[in-house]
Amino acid sequence: MKRAAWPSVIALGMALLLAAPLRATQETRPPEEPGSPVRYQIDVALDDAGKILRGREEIVWRNTSRDEIPDMWFHLYWNAFKNERSAMLEESREDGSLGRSLPEEGGWGYVDITRLTQADGTDLLPTLEFMTADLPLHSQDRTVARVLFPAAVKPGEEVRLLVEFEAKIPRTIARSGYYQDSYFIAQWFPKPGVYEEGRGWNCHQYHQNSEFFADFADFNVRITVPSDFVVGASGKQMSAVSAADGKTVTYTFEQARIHDFAWTADPDYLKVERDFLAGQEVTAEEYAGLAAKLGIPEEELKLPDVKMILLIKPEHKAQIERHFKALRAGLKYYGLWFGPYPYETVTMVDPPFRTGSGGMEYPTLFTAGTGVLRDKKVLSPEGVIIHEFGHGYWYGLVANNEFEEAWLDEGINTYSTGRVQAKAYGPGMFSASLFGWPLTRLIHFPVYFDFELDRLAAIMIAERDPVTTASWLFSSRMSYAMNVYMRASTCLNTLERYLGEATMLRVMRAFQMRFRFRHPRTQDFIEVVNEVSGQNLTWFFEELFFAAQNFDYGVSKLVSQKKRGRDLGVFEVDGKKQEVKPEDVERQEKQDKEKGEKAYITEVTLRRFGEARLGGQARVKLRVVFEDGNEEVREWDGLDRWESFRFETPARAKFAQLDPDLVWLIDSDLANNSLKLKPGRGGVTRLTARFLFWVQNHLHLLSALI
Amino acid sequence: MPIVKIFGQSLRTTARKARLLAFLWPTYFLFAILISAPFYFLFQSHFSRSLMGEKLLTGMDILWLGDLVYRYQESTPLLLGWVLGTSLLFLVFAAFLNGGIIGRIAAGEERVTFPGFFGDCGRYFGRFFRVFLVSLAGYFLLAVVGRIASVPFRLWSKGASTEWTTLASSSLRLLVFLLLFSIVRMFFDYVKVALVSDDSRQVLRTTLRNFGFLGKRFFSAWSLFLLVGLIFILITLVYLTIAKMLPKTGIGPLLLFLWQQVYFLARLWTCVLFFATEYHFLKAHRTASQSNL
Repeated sequence: MKRAAWPSVIALGMALLLAAPLRATQETRPPEEPGSPVRYQIDVALDDAGKILRGREEIVWRNTSRDEIPDMWFHLYWNAFKNERSAMLEESREDGSLGRSLPEEGGWGYVDITRLTQADGTDLLPTLEFMTADLPLHSQDRTVARVLFPAAVKPGEEVRLLVEFEAKIPRTIARSGYYQDSYFIAQWFPKPGVYEEGRGWNCHQYHQNSEFFADFADFNVRITVPSDFVVGASGKQMSAVSAADGKTVTYTFEQARIHDFAWTADPDYLKVERDFLAGQEVTAEEYAGLAAKLGIPEEELKLPDVKMILLIKPEHKAQIERHFKALRAGLKYYGLWFGPYPYETVTMVDPPFRTGSGGMEYPTLFTAGTGVLRDKKVLSPEGVIIHEFGHGYWYGLVANNEFEEAWLDEGINTYSTGRVQAKAYGPGMFSASLFGWPLTRLIHFPVYFDFELDRLAAIMIAERDPVTTASWLFSSRMSYAMNVYMRASTCLNTLERYLGEATMLRVMRAFQMRFRFRHPRTQDFIEVVNEVSGQNLTWFFEELFFAAQNFDYGVSKLVSQKKRGRDLGVFEVDGKKQEVKPEDVERQEKQDKEKGEKAYITEVTLRRFGEARLGGQARVKLRVVFEDGNEEVREWDGLDRWESFRFETPARAKFAQLDPDLVWLIDSDLANNSLKLKPGRGGVTRLTARFLFWVQNHLHLLSALI
Repeated sequence: MPIVKIFGQSLRTTARKARLLAFLWPTYFLFAILISAPFYFLFQSHFSRSLMGEKLLTGMDILWLGDLVYRYQESTPLLLGWVLGTSLLFLVFAAFLNGGIIGRIAAGEERVTFPGFFGDCGRYFGRFFRVFLVSLAGYFLLAVVGRIASVPFRLWSKGASTEWTTLASSSLRLLVFLLLFSIVRMFFDYVKVALVSDDSRQVLRTTLRNFGFLGKRFFSAWSLFLLVGLIFILITLVYLTIAKMLPKTGIGPLLLFLWQQVYFLARLWTCVLFFATEYHFLKAHRTASQSNL
């Protein structure tokens, strides 16, 4: 966040609102240095009775920029749960969801810094002030704080801070908290923001719609809990040491090059470990086939072995193997397609009951979530496992700013999840249950691939907000979710169909491997797309990501008529005027019929119904099929509002079809992509008959009241 | 008379009056067509000339669903209004039809004929509509009692430490509600049956007398009612099992439609059976009372 006067802040907000492309033309970002600029040494103890964490944190932060930095901004995320005046809860009220968000009495949460000094003992706490720079203003939000250094930190210098804090664990509002004696602890420690050279601290308040952004760091965390608790955390467990009195155990976890650290504790967890053995999971043929497709050596594709850890509640014990199967699929396909998983461990957590912490990602740890009665035909928890594991790639390794460009992880990961799920499982069944009892055991619901439902959301939200809107500036929570997840994913699926699977895989792999352990922006992704595809596809992002426009091309008219041998009227023949009468026309038609001559004139008009346009080399294909089985194919650049095509053929047209290969999945009306000469009723009758039956049921149910 | 005997008698009556289904099924079907008609024309306007129309419900993909939701999202209030309005109209019509069902059951050995059925519909409509209005008080009471009865389940669920507790709590809450609903429904069924049996127009008096009648025989009446309810559940399970096995493509959709109509006929049959059991139960216990006197 710019450490600047209000006018600059307002200008930034307006720029985001207008969704101006984040182009590199206005600035040149210096290359990010590899390696972690931050090191954390954290000791924390859980007071189970008081629901408090008492922590001591040593932060070593290196100035990797060329600026001299006079201050440090911190995230104090849990202050979002302190009272109703936080940005998060005020936004929840505006959204109408505040009632659901409010904790019970005594359930509020907060984090207090009780001591903050530099290594030399200089007390920085007196300089602490809370910052509320995001717009719209939430002046009493306390989720961002700033302290001033006595002397600016020069480029390349390190600053060592000692922080002591006390955090009241909330009865879960969002992702983090407790229920009875189960804990899921995330965003719990005072965490510096990200310093951006020339721009200042990027340290947004905690909003209802936003997620997180932090620097890569090396973590060493010691967690002390009551001895009967089972603990899981980011990274690798190095030790578990019992206290002398046996009442507590201190677990030590370490992990380098991650940007967040979460942990969980529950006395009831079952801890199960399995190994992902790459040699058993991937065949030589698979390596060879993919290497050929991507045009890279097989050696680059080889996957490492990974330790998989599952913490699962006893009531879900029967689903252990389902969890591991899904995680294996994630490790395999994310690894093969986008790059090998670089850490030794991954911890998968079945979140404790009512902690609200399900379906969330943290580096090397993620939460899934399931139910006691889950039908295997419904891909749950598989879908959420693959998705949350996938965030280890998109957000965990390629660490975009989730506040400002949420689509870069959510959209890309939703697209990736759909691919992995389709590859590993095929389509899944719609989930429906009645009071917790799955109806799918009795009723055969439709099956679908993720991209089909994603498209539904994508087209409904097309004109609300651009995909690239900053998280907290979306017009509603629904717009945020549908845009950054589904619309972004549908656009990426469209891009894949346009470029072809192999090229798209190369794009995604290049983006992952180039920006691992870095903080890319949308423009970086666009540049990778352009470079790998060999085309300038900036127009694609301008039309579908930076603007809120509807994409809709269709066939608006199809006429196919017999060509007349003669036309009525007066014509010059050999210098003399000759009138052609109706009987002359009839005679000609009779003669043509006897000779078997037929010719049809077919006219097809295509229209661009939406505002979004094709660009660059992109074309939309038109296919016209005739009654004699012949076809004609044309292309249209789609720039104008309409275009007509004329064909003279021996047979009448049967139908005209735009985009027969369904490249443009983002098209909001696929029904108008084709036009038949003669209407049909079969499909509509089928649909109406099904609807009719449900109406009969509804009427019979009503009659029970009378 | 034991319940089993009454049940057997009711089955025979229902079989004898099977012709009722010939009036009921087309009536429901035509009303459903009336409600569905606007949707048919909407679907037709959107899909009839599109190749996508050929894919509807063939199991190939559900992209058409996205089109449909997107295209008609603005029309949802209008469509819902149409369904709601016609549903309210149907409520009144159902009161009309019930008169015909109970009237023909009470007509003894008489054949079910078109004039006979609709004559009874007309004859009892006013009374049955007044019973419906009185029953609103019953449903209100049901809502109050249901809310009170749900309190211990909510408290149990509030302190739950696993999902099994909440699942059990919500399931039991639903079961209790359904049982309470069945009592209210049974009560007013007996009022209707008594009105026909006595050829009375005094709805309130008959309702009050029904408290006495059912009060003395509650559990046997309720057992009989629940027995027929169980048959309805079994029929539904058979329907769902076979529906799942039918092919999704080719001739499958047609077979499914036919099977759905067979199931619906079976539902209407249980409807008739409900009234038949209530009629015979009422008759048997009234006769027994008179004999005792």
